[in-house]
Amino acid sequence: MFVLLALHLLIGVGIVASGDRLGRRAFAVAALAPLATVVWAITQADAVLDGRPVVVEVTWVEQLGLGLDLRLDAFGLAMVALVSGIGFLVCVYAVGYFSHPKQGTARLAGLMTLFAGAMLGVVMADHLLALFVAWELTSVTSYLLIGNDDRSPRARAAALQAILITGTGGLVMLVGIIAVGHTAGTYRISELLADPPSGGVISGGLVCILIGAFTKSAQAPFGSWLPGAMVAPTPISAYLHSATMVKAGVYLVARLSPIFATTGNWRLLVLVVGATTMIIGGLRALRQYDLKLLLAYGTVSQLGFLMLLFGTGQYQIAQAGVALLLAHGAFKAALFMVVGMVDHEVGTRDIRELHGFGSAWSPTLVVGVLGAASMAGLPPLFGFIAKEKALDGYVEHGDFIGSGAIVIVIVIGSILTFAYSARFVLGLFGVFGTDDADPRSRAAHAPSVLFLAPAAVLTVSTVAAGLAPVLVDRLVRASTLALQPGVTPSPVELWAGFNTALVLSLIVISTGLVLTAYRVPLGRLQRRASDAISWIPSAEQGFLACLRGMTDGSKRVTALVQNGSLPIYLAVIVTVAAVAPLIPAVSVFPSLPKLIDAPIQIPLGILVVVAALGAAVVRRRIAAALMLGAVGYGMAGLFIVQGAPDLALTQLVIETLATVLFVLVLRFLPTKWADRSPAIARPIRIGVSTLAGVSVFVMALVSSAARDDVAAPNISEEMIARSAPDAKGNNVVNVILVDFRGLDTLGEITVLLVAAVGAVALARTGRRRLIPGRREQGHARPDQGAGS
Amino acid sequence: MSQLVPLPIVLPLLGAALSVVFGRWHGFQRLVGVVCLSTSLVISIVLLVAADDTGFVVAQGGGWPAPIGISLVVDRLSAIMLVVSAIMLLAVLVYAIGQGEVERVHAGFHPTYLVLAAGVAASLLTGDLFNLFVSFEMMLAASYVLITMGGRAAQVRSGMTYVVISLVASTFFIIVLALIYSATGTINLADLSERIPELSGEVQLMFAIALLVVFGIKAGLFPLFFWLPDSYPTAPAPVTAIFAGLLTKVGVYAIIRTQTLMFPIDARPATLILVVAALTMTVGVFGAIAQDDVKRILSFHIVSQIGYMIFALGLFTVAGVAAAVFYTFNNIILKTNLLLVAGLVERRGGSSRLSEVGGMVRTAPLLGLLFALPALSLAGLPPFGGFVAKFAVFDAGAWSEQWVLVGVAAFVSLLTMYSMTKIWAGAFWGEREEEPSGRPEPGGRLGGPVLMVGSTAAVVLVGLAVMIWAAPLYAFTERAAVDLLDPSRYVEAVLGERP
Repeated sequence: MFVLLALHLLIGVGIVASGDRLGRRAFAVAALAPLATVVWAITQADAVLDGRPVVVEVTWVEQLGLGLDLRLDAFGLAMVALVSGIGFLVCVYAVGYFSHPKQGTARLAGLMTLFAGAMLGVVMADHLLALFVAWELTSVTSYLLIGNDDRSPRARAAALQAILITGTGGLVMLVGIIAVGHTAGTYRISELLADPPSGGVISGGLVCILIGAFTKSAQAPFGSWLPGAMVAPTPISAYLHSATMVKAGVYLVARLSPIFATTGNWRLLVLVVGATTMIIGGLRALRQYDLKLLLAYGTVSQLGFLMLLFGTGQYQIAQAGVALLLAHGAFKAALFMVVGMVDHEVGTRDIRELHGFGSAWSPTLVVGVLGAASMAGLPPLFGFIAKEKALDGYVEHGDFIGSGAIVIVIVIGSILTFAYSARFVLGLFGVFGTDDADPRSRAAHAPSVLFLAPAAVLTVSTVAAGLAPVLVDRLVRASTLALQPGVTPSPVELWAGFNTALVLSLIVISTGLVLTAYRVPLGRLQRRASDAISWIPSAEQGFLACLRGMTDGSKRVTALVQNGSLPIYLAVIVTVAAVAPLIPAVSVFPSLPKLIDAPIQIPLGILVVVAALGAAVVRRRIAAALMLGAVGYGMAGLFIVQGAPDLALTQLVIETLATVLFVLVLRFLPTKWADRSPAIARPIRIGVSTLAGVSVFVMALVSSAARDDVAAPNISEEMIARSAPDAKGNNVVNVILVDFRGLDTLGEITVLLVAAVGAVALARTGRRRLIPGRREQGHARPDQGAGS
Repeated sequence: MSQLVPLPIVLPLLGAALSVVFGRWHGFQRLVGVVCLSTSLVISIVLLVAADDTGFVVAQGGGWPAPIGISLVVDRLSAIMLVVSAIMLLAVLVYAIGQGEVERVHAGFHPTYLVLAAGVAASLLTGDLFNLFVSFEMMLAASYVLITMGGRAAQVRSGMTYVVISLVASTFFIIVLALIYSATGTINLADLSERIPELSGEVQLMFAIALLVVFGIKAGLFPLFFWLPDSYPTAPAPVTAIFAGLLTKVGVYAIIRTQTLMFPIDARPATLILVVAALTMTVGVFGAIAQDDVKRILSFHIVSQIGYMIFALGLFTVAGVAAAVFYTFNNIILKTNLLLVAGLVERRGGSSRLSEVGGMVRTAPLLGLLFALPALSLAGLPPFGGFVAKFAVFDAGAWSEQWVLVGVAAFVSLLTMYSMTKIWAGAFWGEREEEPSGRPEPGGRLGGPVLMVGSTAAVVLVGLAVMIWAAPLYAFTERAAVDLLDPSRYVEAVLGERP
């Protein structure tokens, strides 16, 4: 299995790397990967359908439980049939679709192959984290595919919306997976199935996982990205956004429902969301004029339906889900392909601009009609069988609260499905064509055989599975068993006898016909109703509002925090540095020690304090420099009193040197500071400085009082003791500087060297008169949230 | 083996001296730089292997036994940091040589860069608090020079912010250092690890918080990070890249080292760290979203991701500290990488503002790839190294049942992805919306000079290597975390057997 995934990666990267050299032939190359997968799957099919899954165990980061275990069971096989089977057909179709390749067309093929590989990973993963890895890869490739026509702002916006919504879901899901995996002690789906965990954390984690599944499968209220994603070329929409990727959420729900349907609110959540999505999607589909959008909303509706089928945890209903999954994949991909052909040959997908086609189009129209009929659930097609099974499952086996309501939802949803399927067919035949539009569709060139063939293959399979359900019976039954081992799924039949489901089907069809017949007044009614509720924000608006709120909020926070003013930064930093360590220190503040050892300390102390205050207050630069020098001399005096002549000497030298340098340099600067800061700044500065002083004072007292708690002597004592005998030096300070701690001295010398290099560099720049920046980048850009 | 320990400090310093003396021969400077840093890299790898073998490699400065002299200690944490930073230093030097702007114009570039390398190595190796201060000074002094080396007005102005705040931080560091010495009578880290527990709980906490603030300024924690996004983006591209990759992470290293080694578990301000982590993550990423300039976006992300590291550290479990270490070294690679690409984008497009560049996926597809891989990794998308790192953090948070923080981290990770897509859509998709302020330079098929693209690609490959060898690397960080959480082994390695 890993070889297959690697093959996808290899082919995909290869095509992307080749740039535009391959043109539309890239799709022919891309077709190899799904073809190989299909062939491989056929060789494994027998064993897998007999309940012997193919298992590959791969560890990645074992310590973290990150595994990449793969497992292909019958349900996985059904998904592989969708992913690779339809994938192959879409590749063939794309060769016809991109008859005039543009820049970037080949890249689509490469990205699609990468996507196919990721999607295979999703359906083959037996490890929740491996599933997550593949899941996110499908999001990323989908982003790149939607936005591939990168010059179009609409494409970029749609891509962004898709990745943000599915990405949010993915992250929430990751948290959920971790929560479940941690509590259960395993991330393996097969192990979870064998020993279902429960508990509060699990329930919370499951909600998170469901949110991930809902976003991916475009469930309400996260579905707004899917219609937007239709800006992608039709082969991409047919593949990602109807047949495969959007099924990932459904797939996950299908996998986990047998384990968790009765845990927490899983079933309730899935049913409510699924029901809402099914109805809203159907209603929206009925209002579309763009055939592709009609199908897109139809897909949303059907995904809701699938949720209803898989989310119950009842195998009889899930069995219908498997059938519908396959049926939907076949008819929806074929319908998208038909729309793509119309778009390609006529140049429009708007049903108001279609006025029927020439006779050469008959095969295409047959494909379209049969596909729509399967979607509507008409016998004897696969779609009918799946819907019958669904209704039957709910009516006969839905023994949980609310199952009756769900039956009604399914019936209403199916009526809507019938109605929009009819709209699709009528639109295709030009019933909606308006007189003012150019009736060019009548003269349009019919699609070539190669272009039509993939859709035809899908249609044949839809009809065949409908007429001879035995073809899919084994797969559907084995898939159900794979989802929930030990159950006894019923056979898949076209004629299941006179039962409630059949009656409901008849109701659906007849009501659907009525809706179609009265479509004009009903359309008006629907428009009026939707106008009436237009004040309710749509999911799309909700998303945009969130996005705007987030960016605006970020800008506001940043403008506040990152205001570009050095004095404010300093004030905050100094305050934090002064206050934070002070908090624990205050409670152990010792009684004041004897502050004065010798009388001479009093004048020296006063000198230091006054000079320091003076340096802060005076406006003349020279005066401030001299005051600073006075502080230094005062300190040197204190050192002498304390018995540290070396230190005092050093201090005196440094102060003298510094003051002289200051005076020399200050000649080049204005003599006074211009204080342009607002009046409020002064008390704040005084406050912060006082705070810093107090804080250091308190901490110094606390620290020196704490010296008694530590028994060991200062290391300086040993240094003094070893200075003369071991280091052969009588002056311990010198020994420390050049021997004991010579490395420090080396470091400090280096610092001096670097400072010299820097001074030279800056001085040179100064001589050249600061090169005016190419553009000011650091400050004062309101759009960057920095205004000095 | 212990003779090798000082070499990652001494070699670049020697190189710096040669570079100053022979400043007129530009080719010689380049040779010295590359040779020194390559040799350092090799030595670092040898030390890594040795440290993983025995746990610790210790050298005592001047042969004086600790705590009189200065101890240099290689443990697993410092070893992995040393190796990763050596790779980055070398790659960025090659990139700078390829770019030939600041590196060619200023004879001072090479010596200063080598001093920076020495300062980074010294900060990672030292086992002495005062020497850590000196090492930081070496690193910072070099960075002051490098950040203003372009000499543009904006660089000097933002360099000012950087220098002033760093000096304040250094002052505070030296004050705290003095206080700690006055309370314990020692500055050797191992020695401190034994003496500090004898202090009262409040005093311990006071020191722990004070050191957190000191290194927090350097690492860019909330609310101390303001200087960072204002100063980094204006520096020359290679300088921004190495600063973004290394300097803040050295601050994080210092936080990890001091908090775990010096303070017993109950004196560590764990809750404070977690709160700060959450704020750092969110405020940083908000800042990134509000920007329109690639380098500024990435600079804000530095801050945001420091939050992740601190979050994992603040759990003070083996899983947490291991995740912190993993995240840190992986982030060094990613951040350097992305800013190197940003430099290439700026060169190719004439600007680093998103509105002034565009469509590079068509004009420079290789740059697109070089950006996409680390960007996906930075956003924590699987299967890249950044995902493993993020997952390790989440996983550690889950073990400690810090679900709120895990949720915050997930939210921040979403916003990170958003701002990566913003860069992607702005620089690589679409068309430029405004005329660039600078002059776009044709990049040829590669998208830039061979050395620049080549060194960037090399860093991308290092990032991919982290993904492929995530398991052994994580196992390594786990061993590092075990050492860090049991300081007695460090103490024993430095001070010798105690009765």
